[in-house]
Amino acid sequence: MRTIPLLATIALTLVACGGEEESASGSEAGGAPSEPAEEITVSAAASLTTAFEAYDERTPVTERFSFAGSDALAAQIRQGATPDVYAAANTELPQALFEEGEVGEPTVFVTNTLVIAVPTDSQIASIDDLTESDVDLVIGTEDVPFGSYTRTVLDRLPAGERDAILANVRSEEPDVNSTVGKLTQGAGDASFTYSSDVAAASGRLRDIELPAELQPDVAYAVAVVEGAENPKAAQAFIDGLVSGAGAQVLQEAGFRPPPAG
Amino acid sequence: MALLRVEAHTRLGDFDLALDVEVGAGACLALAGPSGAGKTTTLRVAAGLIRPDRGNVTCGDEVWLDTERGVNLPPERRRCGYVFQDYALFGHLRAWQNVAYPLRGIPRAQRRRTAHELLERFGLASRADAHPRTLSGGERQRVALARALAREPRALLLDEPLSALDTRTRTSAGRELAAILREAAVPTLLVTHDFAEAALFGDEVGVIDGGRVVQRGTPSELAMAPASAFVADFTGAVVLIGEARPGPDGLTVVNLDAAEATVLSTDQGHGRVAVSVFPWEIALLPAGSDPVGSAQNRLAAEVVSVTVVGNRVRVGLDAGQPITAEVTQAGVEGLALAPGVKVAASWKAAATRLAEA
Amino acid sequence: MSGSRGFRALLVAALGAVLVFLTVPIVGVFVNVPPGELLASLAQEGALEALLLSLQTTALALVIILVVGTPAAYLLATRSFRGRSVAVTLVELPLVLPPAVAGIALLAALGPEGILGGLLIDAGVQLVFQTAGVVVALVFVASPFYIRQAQAAFASIDPTLLAASRTLGAGEGRTFLAVAIPTARAGLLSGMALAWGRALGEFGATLIFAGSFQGITQTAPLAILARFGIDFTGALALSAVLVALSATILLSVKLLAGSPAFGGVAAR
Repeated sequence: MRTIPLLATIALTLVACGGEEESASGSEAGGAPSEPAEEITVSAAASLTTAFEAYDERTPVTERFSFAGSDALAAQIRQGATPDVYAAANTELPQALFEEGEVGEPTVFVTNTLVIAVPTDSQIASIDDLTESDVDLVIGTEDVPFGSYTRTVLDRLPAGERDAILANVRSEEPDVNSTVGKLTQGAGDASFTYSSDVAAASGRLRDIELPAELQPDVAYAVAVVEGAENPKAAQAFIDGLVSGAGAQVLQEAGFRPPPAG
Repeated sequence: MALLRVEAHTRLGDFDLALDVEVGAGACLALAGPSGAGKTTTLRVAAGLIRPDRGNVTCGDEVWLDTERGVNLPPERRRCGYVFQDYALFGHLRAWQNVAYPLRGIPRAQRRRTAHELLERFGLASRADAHPRTLSGGERQRVALARALAREPRALLLDEPLSALDTRTRTSAGRELAAILREAAVPTLLVTHDFAEAALFGDEVGVIDGGRVVQRGTPSELAMAPASAFVADFTGAVVLIGEARPGPDGLTVVNLDAAEATVLSTDQGHGRVAVSVFPWEIALLPAGSDPVGSAQNRLAAEVVSVTVVGNRVRVGLDAGQPITAEVTQAGVEGLALAPGVKVAASWKAAATRLAEA
Repeated sequence: MSGSRGFRALLVAALGAVLVFLTVPIVGVFVNVPPGELLASLAQEGALEALLLSLQTTALALVIILVVGTPAAYLLATRSFRGRSVAVTLVELPLVLPPAVAGIALLAALGPEGILGGLLIDAGVQLVFQTAGVVVALVFVASPFYIRQAQAAFASIDPTLLAASRTLGAGEGRTFLAVAIPTARAGLLSGMALAWGRALGEFGATLIFAGSFQGITQTAPLAILARFGIDFTGALALSAVLVALSATILLSVKLLAGSPAFGGVAAR
């Protein structure tokens, strides 16, 4: 009767794989009582991973998350995917989708700071150090928010410095998680990413603040997607982000509150 | 004088292979026996493809295997030609390339020439460029043989050389092969499950059963004086079991087990014996006819089957035990032989062999 | 006999479903954008570079896989030894690893902080962010595809062919090269096609282990991902080319394997 152990193994493997998907996270993470809770799907920028998962535990609603680069998520929505909520790491992407009629009017819900992230034992101390020739730099692609913010910063530098830093770029990553992952594994000497990511890296990275004149305005916007299955629950989710459990969690994760007004 | 000696002791499934045979240069020893008796194993030991628990293989003055002294030459170092049962031709090479495969260390043009010459000797010059899959069974056998002989081996091993051929090709192929073996003049060890095949090729035949050679001799010696019921049966004789005791005129009287009858034999024997006689020595007479001449054995029998084989007819009979008679077509018609007909089977005491049961 | 007929109808329906499911996405790649736009997108910066890099890295990876994997598969197929089944399972392991896991595993082993990282640094070898790293990732994920096929192909060779070669004076090495490989050719080629196809499509492990940078590590699949966010047409164009490339490779290998000129058995 070898079929029984075989079937058991297959069943277990399927269960394990189901929980292993790259970006989707299980929504019954917390110890919430098993009520037939409402469920919403949320497409969110990768930098919101830690914060949103914590937020999920504090809401009665079950969230299914899809974390990736904000540009990739926008492309999916344009191709017809309809999550309930879309949260991006900039305001341009949600605004563009709003003008195309794909999402409702966006709300800015949090801001973030772009920093230089380095391993804790790094010798690098400032943006000038990034011009040295043996530095391996990891940044985002042109189109993903944290990558475009990086280019904004670099464009504000004198051409010589900017070119020297760009010459050190070794990889253009599609989202912050793989960027941070590289640094914590010692692959890469520095990256431009968010202060919230450094906070989420459990002490393996430290951040170097950018001079104020270089700092871009990093504002995150969120919107309800047109054609969402649960627009009411989606709106409640967004409200919580602006001034509820969500806002609290974001602050704890290292984000900064949205500009007043 | 190059002598091939193969001694092998090894576990083979349920029984032990215990073999020690010698073949002289230019001679062919045919090992004949049922499948599973250890024939192919013997060849593989000789070639170095199997290592027996204990054994010795020498060819002339070369020691190929000596388990006691830890000598075990790998197959490629033994100059030994092996023709496999299904020929094992390399499908991706043409016929001449197959033959050229063992030719190493000589310039390419010469290899090609030599291979073509060999194929010509075997009558395959026109098929030299063919791939094995387009060759007939007989042609493939000849290519395999040419290939095995290409580098002038010091011994030749053949595994069931005719069994892969259809019956029509078998006769002519058998004759050709016999001629080639005589020409090759190296010690040849050949195995087969068919005694007639063994008799065709072998100067001597060794009957092998259960891992041992139970009798060795020329084919006619084995047929005339089988050492046991197994050998008798294997050589195609009719075998009847019975109890023997000395009788008048120097003859031996045997009480058959299965029939209420006795037979006489000019052989000596007593106790449990196997009585054997060849089918073509058995004459069929109408039932109840009187014995003709002295020293004639007679058994009452009933016809079970009548089969035409070539220009002879094999008649299967039941005389308490199954026996087979080989008669002419005329004989069949004269007696109106058909299943169910009762006849008398008769043969001479002098044609009756006795062997251990 | 409605039982048999019903069953046969079921078989046909199943095959139909499989074919539709597998071909519709591929058709979608080609159909959604007019050919003119497709070609224009290919001319865009980075597209051709990515394709070239894909071809170069997969070809190199394949050479490594063939040279090292063929003898390994031969050993697995023709000998039994202690620990053989463990070896077979280990060889198959990358097959069941999600690509991201493969990438992380490679980092953990060969990255600067990995188990062998120190050794590599001392030897002056850098894999992360280098084309060499891409090749390593490709070899890792694609070799099981080849080795399993090669092993099966070698195992199905009639052992008497190999024995015959030995009795004709060829040692084990010559037997391997002159008899085993030609005889197993069809299976080896099909394993090669599978491995090449897998390598062409490899993306997750490459991204995590080697990174993505135009001209150095950004292979075609990574370039498709980079375009996906903003330039869907560009992504489609590259996808179309990749599909065409993979199909060409698969078909060529099938033709090669079936061609009598290569000693293969003609199509059954």
